[in-house]
Amino acid sequence: MKHIHKGSWSIACVCLVLGFMLAVQFRTTQDLKSNVSYQRIEEISERLLQTEKERDKLKEELNRMQKGEETDTSDAELKLRAGLAPVEGPGVIVRLDDSAMTSKAGENPNLYVIHDDDLLRVINELRAAGAEAISVNGQRLIGTSEIRCAGPTLSVNNVRSAAPYEIHAIGDKTTLENALRMRGGVAETLKVWGIQLDISVRDSVYVPAYKGSYKHEFAKPTEDKDEKEAKS
Amino acid sequence: MILPVLGLVLGILLGMFFPVVIPVAYAKLFSVALLASLDSVFGGLRAAAADRFTNAVFITGFFSNALLAAFLVFIGDRLGIDLYYVALLTFGFRIFKNLAGLRRYFLRSDSQKVE
Repeated sequence: MKHIHKGSWSIACVCLVLGFMLAVQFRTTQDLKSNVSYQRIEEISERLLQTEKERDKLKEELNRMQKGEETDTSDAELKLRAGLAPVEGPGVIVRLDDSAMTSKAGENPNLYVIHDDDLLRVINELRAAGAEAISVNGQRLIGTSEIRCAGPTLSVNNVRSAAPYEIHAIGDKTTLENALRMRGGVAETLKVWGIQLDISVRDSVYVPAYKGSYKHEFAKPTEDKDEKEAKS
Repeated sequence: MILPVLGLVLGILLGMFFPVVIPVAYAKLFSVALLASLDSVFGGLRAAAADRFTNAVFITGFFSNALLAAFLVFIGDRLGIDLYYVALLTFGFRIFKNLAGLRRYFLRSDSQKVE
């Protein structure tokens, strides 16, 4: 140890500088670590605040709507939603026709005829693909519309029509078309039975308004309830 | 040996309470400079132990090493060459070498004493 005499002072000075640098670096690293978490905290609390604001706004809106006071939705908007207004827009027209194949002997000829479930599957697919308005042979589909076999014809909105069926759907036209043409999708399955399915994409498709009647014999408006409560 | 330790402690205390913070952008350069100075100090200690110590060499080496290291890393950053790791490797290697030399020196002198 005693060997280190010469330059002891300069080493001490340099050590002072080194110590200073070490301490500063240590503090900087520490700050950096805490800074990151601090930023994160700020970000999250900001988001919380925003969400709370949004929630309050929605709560207010809900309150207002429950009271039945001035709602934002005008008459025209409500009609549009209920399907009481004719609409037009980009979409697809799907034509379905009975199979052109002749049924083989011993096979059920019913397989080659369009049934309600064939049509329902097409419509279901269109709805899943975001179709905003759908009509079948000029009958607008609304919440209470039925599609069922009525002998050799199909009944939609209690109006009967025979093949070919023309479905008009308004929505994102590529999405609608792709949804039907998807591999293993509706179009492919129906083709197995030879049912003719013809999809044409249009920039403007017309969907008429619902023209039937409404009647609410049994349903009456009531308060909001939980389903569990309502059962008891 | 007391004096350098005293200097180190004093420096650490000073740094703890001195309100200097290195900006994040320069933290890398600073850490390289720190490593270079650490190497210089160990080199100086080793030289002192071996009685080869010269004040001027030590002081200039300390500052020029630190500055040069930081500068090289800075230039490397601008040129897209990551000299940071090169500096880390070099100085780390040298620190270990200096430490080994120091240890060997002390061991030798101790054993001589025993004899």
